[in-house]
Amino acid sequence: MQTFLNSGLIIAQATHGAGPVPLAVTVMFSLLLVGLIVALALEEQLHAKKSVIAGCFAFVSLFAADALDLLPIGSVTNVFGEVVELPVYIPGIDWNVIAIILGASLFVDVTSRSGLFTWIAIRLTKISAGDPRRLLFYYGVLTVLFSAVLNNVTAMIIVGSLTGVSLNKLGRKDKLLGFLLVEGLLTNIGGLLTLISSVPNIIVGTAAGISFVRFFLITSPFVVIATTITLMMGARLFAIHSLADEEERQEAARLVADFDENDGVESRFFFWFGASMMVLFIVTIATTSVLPYISELGMGYVAMAFGLIMLIRYKAVADEFYRALDWDLLGFFMALFIVIDVMEHAHVLDLMGQGIVPIIELGATLGTGLMLVVAAVASSVTDNIPLAAMLAKILSGLGTSNDSPLWWAVIFGANLGGNITPIGSASTLVAVTIIHRYELPLSFGGFVKKALPYAVVQIVLAIVYVLLFLG
Amino acid sequence: MTNVDQFESFFKSATKTSFAYRDIEIQKVLLVTDLEEEPAQQLSDQVRDFLTVLGEDESVNWRTVQGDEFRTVKELLDLVETESPDLICAYRHLHSEAWRWPYSLGEELDVLTQITSSPVLILPHPKAQPLDEILKGTGSVMAITNHLTGDHRLVNFAVRFTEEKGTLFLTHIEDESVFRSYIDVISKIPNITTETAEEEILRQLLKEPHDYIRSCSDTLQAKGLALQIQEIVTLGHHIADLTRLVEEHQVELLVLNAKDEDQAAMHGLAYSLAVELRKIPLLML
Repeated sequence: MQTFLNSGLIIAQATHGAGPVPLAVTVMFSLLLVGLIVALALEEQLHAKKSVIAGCFAFVSLFAADALDLLPIGSVTNVFGEVVELPVYIPGIDWNVIAIILGASLFVDVTSRSGLFTWIAIRLTKISAGDPRRLLFYYGVLTVLFSAVLNNVTAMIIVGSLTGVSLNKLGRKDKLLGFLLVEGLLTNIGGLLTLISSVPNIIVGTAAGISFVRFFLITSPFVVIATTITLMMGARLFAIHSLADEEERQEAARLVADFDENDGVESRFFFWFGASMMVLFIVTIATTSVLPYISELGMGYVAMAFGLIMLIRYKAVADEFYRALDWDLLGFFMALFIVIDVMEHAHVLDLMGQGIVPIIELGATLGTGLMLVVAAVASSVTDNIPLAAMLAKILSGLGTSNDSPLWWAVIFGANLGGNITPIGSASTLVAVTIIHRYELPLSFGGFVKKALPYAVVQIVLAIVYVLLFLG
Repeated sequence: MTNVDQFESFFKSATKTSFAYRDIEIQKVLLVTDLEEEPAQQLSDQVRDFLTVLGEDESVNWRTVQGDEFRTVKELLDLVETESPDLICAYRHLHSEAWRWPYSLGEELDVLTQITSSPVLILPHPKAQPLDEILKGTGSVMAITNHLTGDHRLVNFAVRFTEEKGTLFLTHIEDESVFRSYIDVISKIPNITTETAEEEILRQLLKEPHDYIRSCSDTLQAKGLALQIQEIVTLGHHIADLTRLVEEHQVELLVLNAKDEDQAAMHGLAYSLAVELRKIPLLML
């Protein structure tokens, strides 16, 4: 709601429903929130999509909140002074975040049709000459960059599927598990590189008023260090070595030479147009806060505009791209924002904030470190998006200053926590899906056992980094 | 493109099978006839003239088998084993009058093409039509299969038998009746768009041999071989279309696979074509 109010569309809203809330009611809504988090953690077991789970909780929460007179039901006055009827759950949704995700997804999806991303991925495979160690490092760096520029899930899908095909061709299927696991872990590191690389970054960054450039300057050194360490650990723990034999090297080079990077490039013009638009998109997103007029319209506008420009090429079949959008994710966000908005009115976030206050009061060092660990552990067992959204609201509510390291503790913790378990992030879940697709055995416990050393190193490194450089 | 399957399909499609060139050495040729000495020698001369592509006489060891050297299939097989040639030349219905009826290859060739690892060049029967008109040279060679991609052996042999500056037709015909039967099934599945499936499956089916032929062409050009590669990749009826193509391009030698690892009998397409196309030489691998 805050974002919506800030946007200036609604300048006044009925105050009906505001006021003190009995503790029992707050506790009841807290239980609903816990139920949502548990249900999201058990998404696979429930065989239900996120949007359906969150939608059910939004439906129940709204009904309960209205029945208990917690919601500001009534007409609203817009910037033109007109009184309009707006459903109470509409202002609760952070439309800027929705617009960023919708526009960026559309932009990435259409741009991928140009063959740009797959061209880069195959080119890199050929440059590696099929050497497993070099391939791991190249794919690792590619995963980080794609995670940063696109999004974690798309990065994992592109690099993971190429890894499966290329290792199969090279006869190195025995190394596939190691490759995919390391790539899955790197998506969450790459997700830290820019403000738009992951949804927690967008949510927390927006709440803390962190600009794209500032975000990049702060996180990039960490991303470089964490990527290097992860890749070195991966090569060592999964015994991914360089080819020692000249004959093996020649055979591997011959096999990867069979890849044709131009296969998916339907039009040279569209390929270069896609590449140029990609660069322009990153530059525009990075400078949104300083561009005249654009800064007022926000990153959501930029993402939607770029998505639309790319769509012009496929204007006759635009509906195909609309169908391909991740409506489950978008539906999930909308429902989640509604739930969080209800929780805010039920004072659940205040209650949680009171629980977080003791952590903050531990001091800049211990408090920040503990906040990072709590965020990491919490996001390892449930979706890091609701966690980031709740913590961002709570920190805002507590009046946390924009330069506080606590924001960074949440950002680092929410992203890196995804590396502890396979359900910690959508991209690690994609990695596990690809692993299972190739009939490689990897249980939940097996993942934790293999991933934990990396996650521990990354989280410790993040704590040191935040405390030393951002504290 | 939004899911693993889409990207995986893309990368699989981008993985091409490159043609691996191999020099085919033919040093010993065994010409099997059921003729007496003089006509056998006459035929031998005709075949040598026809196969000048194999090199000068001194570089190739020619051996002509006369009719009295074998009577049974067993005797012929023993002879082939003893000689162990790089190429066997023969014609249909040895020691038989059945060549008059165009329904089979004859028992010797049925067995020989399956048992021996050497390629068998099946000539038109000398009594059926004058060979002078048929065995003019190998300036126009056609390699045919229903699965060309990755069939390096077939292409290498076809290259070996194509005269310098000659034309090699690399032909891949996708069986239309099989394709239509699958599309018919797809048309009954509601969650697959029939039109898209038909378009995309056909595109991919024809793309693979097209890419492979391009790789053949590039590799041969890089090797400096002076022959022209022509691509024929289409959806059609194997027998009818190939017969038409052979006539249309005035093909002088047809190269095809005779063996099928899934069965003891000759490859289905090869057998049908060998029976149908009786007026041009066939190199059966």
